[in-house]
Amino acid sequence: MRLKLLAALVMVLGLSVALAQPRTLIVAQGTDPVTLDAHLAIDAPSFTVIYQVVETLFTYTPEGRIEPNLVERFSFSPDRRVLTLTLRRGITFHDGTELNSEAVRFNLERLVAPETAATFAFLLRGRVTAIETPDPLTVHLRMPEPFAPILSHLAHGSTGIQSPTAIRRLGAAYRDNPVGTGPFRFDRWQKGQFVELVRNDNYWGTRPAIERLRFLAVPEGTTRMALVETGQAHVAVRVPPHDVPRLRARPELNVVTTPSVRTIYLFFNHSKKPFDDVRVRRAINHAINKEEIVNFVLGGFGRVSDAPISPGVFGYTAIGVHAFNPSLARQLLAQAGFNAQNPLRFTLSFPTGRYLQDVRIAETIQSQLRAVGVQVELQTMEWGAYLAFTNLPRERSQFQVAMLGWGTVTGDADYGLFPLFHTTQHAPRGSNRSFYSNPRLDRILDQARVATNPQAREQLYRSAMQIIFNDAPWVFLHSEQQVTAIRREVQGVIVHPTEMLILSGASFRTGAER
Amino acid sequence: MTTYILRRLLIVIPTLLGVLLVVFLMVRLAPGDPAQLLAGEFATPETLADIRERFGLDHPWHVQLGVYLVNVVQGDLGESVRTRRPVTYELANFFPNTVRLTLAAMLVALLVGIPAGVIAAIRPGTAVDLLVMLGALIGVSMPVFWFGLMAILIFSVQLGWFPVAGAGTVWHLVLPAIALGTSTAAILARMTRSAMLEVLSQDYIRTARAKGLAGRVVVFKHALRNALIPVVTITGLQFGGLLEGAVITETVFAWPGIGRLLVDSILARDYPVVQGAVLLIAVAFILINLVVDLLYGAIDPRIRYD
Repeated sequence: MRLKLLAALVMVLGLSVALAQPRTLIVAQGTDPVTLDAHLAIDAPSFTVIYQVVETLFTYTPEGRIEPNLVERFSFSPDRRVLTLTLRRGITFHDGTELNSEAVRFNLERLVAPETAATFAFLLRGRVTAIETPDPLTVHLRMPEPFAPILSHLAHGSTGIQSPTAIRRLGAAYRDNPVGTGPFRFDRWQKGQFVELVRNDNYWGTRPAIERLRFLAVPEGTTRMALVETGQAHVAVRVPPHDVPRLRARPELNVVTTPSVRTIYLFFNHSKKPFDDVRVRRAINHAINKEEIVNFVLGGFGRVSDAPISPGVFGYTAIGVHAFNPSLARQLLAQAGFNAQNPLRFTLSFPTGRYLQDVRIAETIQSQLRAVGVQVELQTMEWGAYLAFTNLPRERSQFQVAMLGWGTVTGDADYGLFPLFHTTQHAPRGSNRSFYSNPRLDRILDQARVATNPQAREQLYRSAMQIIFNDAPWVFLHSEQQVTAIRREVQGVIVHPTEMLILSGASFRTGAER
Repeated sequence: MTTYILRRLLIVIPTLLGVLLVVFLMVRLAPGDPAQLLAGEFATPETLADIRERFGLDHPWHVQLGVYLVNVVQGDLGESVRTRRPVTYELANFFPNTVRLTLAAMLVALLVGIPAGVIAAIRPGTAVDLLVMLGALIGVSMPVFWFGLMAILIFSVQLGWFPVAGAGTVWHLVLPAIALGTSTAAILARMTRSAMLEVLSQDYIRTARAKGLAGRVVVFKHALRNALIPVVTITGLQFGGLLEGAVITETVFAWPGIGRLLVDSILARDYPVVQGAVLLIAVAFILINLVVDLLYGAIDPRIRYD
């Protein structure tokens, strides 16, 4: 009797699982989106969902190119101060509103408006000072000075073009009911559980093969993996490194690694001695074995940084690695006045749980530096406290050496270098938290912002990164790799270097293709 | 009794005011700034200023407190800095799930813990007693995190009996309820056993047996009822604990409850949500305590509420 009951129970469960899975592509993400309003989003899970619904004027391709998207063609005025955009004809938002120049103006103005309080307002604020709409398909963006990275800023997800009608009609509720022009329409959001999208059958581009998309919020890594192993999800992001061998052994799963634009680094506080001495900074660079960190701490899921930005970002060139060389490190330290009698001592600050294996990376660095006679004390903080601690102005800053990561999310070197190394960007004004300053570098970064020719810009960034490499204001550690588990019955899922998923080209394989 | 309940409910007001004050100050004393966290690594001074102004964080704390208290009295718990939704909306979304999970876990704990404790007590020193106590020891020492993951790997991945995670059907509730309820079941089993052992050695039990009452009647009618007072106290305390302590279970099973909301909000220094969630949990705690106190009277008629 008991056995029969159990069998019945299993059958009912099996049936309920089968019924819950029509042709819906299910993606397990780490968290629920915070918002579905493109202008307010800041996190990858939100942007991943928004990306399927809301489109941008330009797009940053997974290969690292900036291409027109909602824009059919564009041109710059001879003085490069006016960008003219011609929109594609005949595109409508999911609510039937027409995509026109007024809609573009409404969106860009909303993003920078102080009352919107958008994190990414800085992408356009001060750069675009007037928006003109001479006809329904033409938009003029006026800039106070030429700004070469403007196209990549207009490719960032936060500049997404959303239905003005929906924003006006829904007010505060818009963030839970996004309306864009994308390949999928928003359907419903069960907070803390899932978001569901349906195919936009009137999509102006290639219609997706997938009818429905569901994004699950599953914070625990092992649980996320269990979902994709049992087929209760088709895609699971952020595979924990220790789960990779087990998942690789399962024939029904593909484990895909994709480079991320996020670079992890240590930065020296140049306002504190002895870190104003380039010999000390170089010595520490040479004493840290980055290969070891990538291979043994990250389990191979990283790439030793050979530039301050990652491959896939416009302007990236391999500059070099401060090779692991303990004897050179000792020599440089001795030149700076440090030896066994007078060892270099400092505190390394790092966040806990923010980056892949951050604590173990810090511990490894501590032991590697001990080998060259440098005594490191470790100090960790929870992320909220840590951000405030590392963002204090020069006169109040307390850290000596600290760890952070930076994602060049616009895909342009300007965003990966200017806020981090330019003298005008010292914290808290910008993100130059190491208070590093080199007037020559400042000049080059300024020129690269206004240069018109992409080849010339690439050349300028190469020179800039060479200066940064020689000055060693950072220890360049590694860029992270994204590990994603995808079931074999699904094809065409693209993992973007900005930690988003592109699902418009995804489809289920037929039996014969598997 | 009505006067007693009214008096208890009146005490709720100063208690909640105290809770509010403590939480309000605590979240602001913790290092970290909601605006900074919202803007993250990409913060510019203009963005920070916009965010602070938008959420009233640019005012001195006593002004913020005044505004907050006036709003709370009017039923407005503010707006989440992270999601920009009303706090009441967030709580209404997540709290019912936590209540559902807590009730299910409590049901598991009561159905397993009390019978196990009774069985152990009526056969003290036997293999059954030893087994129950060993089970209770394991149950109480097992980290819920590990137990939850093991349950998923065995019952969902290997056997395929239950969904891995999420909410929606009653099947989704089974594993999280067992994971969350196990340690409470273990505590209840130990508590019931010791309370029962004490009662079973009383004279009136010997009398009951001597006058020829059936063993079952002695155990359930005479002994268990008298042993229940401490068990009810512990159950009440555990209930409150389950309510706020479900965060790990909620994380492992991707259960959309208030524990996860609270932790996410603390990490983001989302002051309004932290305040609102703690307030709600405090109210729940106070009400549970009141119910427990009233249950004493139902179990033991000697207890009066004058």
